[in-house]
Amino acid sequence: MPTPVSSPRLPALGFGLGLRVEHYEALLERPAGVDWLEIVSENYLVPGGLPLRWLERFRERYPLVMHGVSLSIGSTDPLDEGYLDRLHALARHVQPAWISDHLCWTGVEGVNLHDLMPLPYTEEALAHVVERVRRVQDRLGRRILLENVSSYVAFAGAQLSEWEFLAAVAERADCLILLDLNNVYVSARNHGFAPLDYLDGIPAARVQQFHLAGHEPGERLLIDTHDAPVADPVWALYVEAVRRYGAVSTMIERDDHIPPLPTLLDELAHARALAASVLREAA
Amino acid sequence: MSANLRALQQRMAQAVLDPRAPRPADILGDARAGADERLDVYRHGYRLRLAEALRVEFPGLARLAGEAAFARLLAAYVEAHPSGHYNIRWHGDGLPAFLERAPPWRRRPALAAMARLDWALSTAFDAADEPALARAELAAVPGDAWPALRLELQQALQVLPLAHNLEAIRRAADLGEAPPRLRRRRAERALLAWRQAHAVHYRLLDADEAVALAAAMRGEPFAQLCERLATLHAPASAAPRMVALLQAWLDGGLIRGWRIADG
Ligand SMILES: [Fe+2]
Repeated sequence: MPTPVSSPRLPALGFGLGLRVEHYEALLERPAGVDWLEIVSENYLVPGGLPLRWLERFRERYPLVMHGVSLSIGSTDPLDEGYLDRLHALARHVQPAWISDHLCWTGVEGVNLHDLMPLPYTEEALAHVVERVRRVQDRLGRRILLENVSSYVAFAGAQLSEWEFLAAVAERADCLILLDLNNVYVSARNHGFAPLDYLDGIPAARVQQFHLAGHEPGERLLIDTHDAPVADPVWALYVEAVRRYGAVSTMIERDDHIPPLPTLLDELAHARALAASVLREAA
Repeated sequence: MSANLRALQQRMAQAVLDPRAPRPADILGDARAGADERLDVYRHGYRLRLAEALRVEFPGLARLAGEAAFARLLAAYVEAHPSGHYNIRWHGDGLPAFLERAPPWRRRPALAAMARLDWALSTAFDAADEPALARAELAAVPGDAWPALRLELQQALQVLPLAHNLEAIRRAADLGEAPPRLRRRRAERALLAWRQAHAVHYRLLDADEAVALAAAMRGEPFAQLCERLATLHAPASAAPRMVALLQAWLDGGLIRGWRIADG
């Protein structure tokens, strides 16, 4: 297993937001405290029209990163060459600081489940994913980031924990990690593992970005909805993550029940303050 | 190579798509939640996600069908048609044809027609950007070239036949107003859907405009468009009408270019 001497991490961008239509107008004004934006790649993989016009405006104003949901890196269907072509073309245009997708599969036999389906954590799946990540990175000419997903099922026959699997993919395929701390928390609750074990198992040198998000409170299974404020246990996990990985680009990710921008700016400012105090403490 | 992984993915996908399919035995349950409850999160999420994505694409259909029937119709479509496109929106592509075919909705043809109207507007929204010809560019065409001049129309432009007042129902949905009653027209009307710059538009065509526009879309030369209008108007009014239509098309950004060609 090749262990790079120096960290493959790219320069950090600071504190950002996921770009959502609801905030287009407000974000054009460049409100203080938003250092960068993450776009959902699929929203701009369209022939033309208003979405691409807006993209131009944001491209001029912010550092951007591209976040996709359709790579289906874990699927046993062939990689979607048409999708990769379009993604690559968009990246050439947008010149994002980085490109991310999820450590999951989204469909098989040509059917798209439009969901981030968890993988079985086996050596077989690991080898499969590693080989595909390498091919995608060759194709895009850069390292990609893979994000941990929230999951509700686990499969019999697992040979690794989720974090061992993620760490091994990153090391063997030489890719980077987008750690969604809400997803760590949700999956920890649903599967009964300790979130700190997860954080301890992730190679710090490969953690490029954090997602902070909210979830639906539940008695039994926690459902990741990304439609609520960041929950207290997730903030606590964020503090632990900054302790372990340092100043990592951090983003508030809200996918539904989008509040007015100032609400998200408050959350982002809170993240900034938390990270600063942890880093001060460490210095 | 990844035979076990593939088999697991096939079992999982099957179980999500078909609620009556057996639960894959490899899903583990525990004290927090049983295997069925865990699988149900994915089964439920699949249906919810597709229905929510489609709901946004078909506002006219939602008004026409009414909330409850719209939800039933979307659920039936999602059950019958798994999605094949990575862009969830694009699953809407098959809904009009489904409503034309599937009982009980095929007995109300206005539903399928409304779905077509909604989908035409939806696809126009992010269709490829096209140039719009300016009046001055057309004015530069020498007079003797006009009979053989062919207009090049926007690729994204669509003309739909409407037997009902569906455009009024869609308009009410767009404006957030109460929709008018569904009314069958004595004669079918053509609806034009197009995009100008970044705005999607739709309007009914008068019978003569529909004839001339259809001819222009087929690539007929200008002289022939005029002849078609002459069959519908008094001799003196055909030419001014053609000029008026041409101006309306230019102002609406329907024309992307022109060429002179024989035959
Ligand atoms: Fe995320």
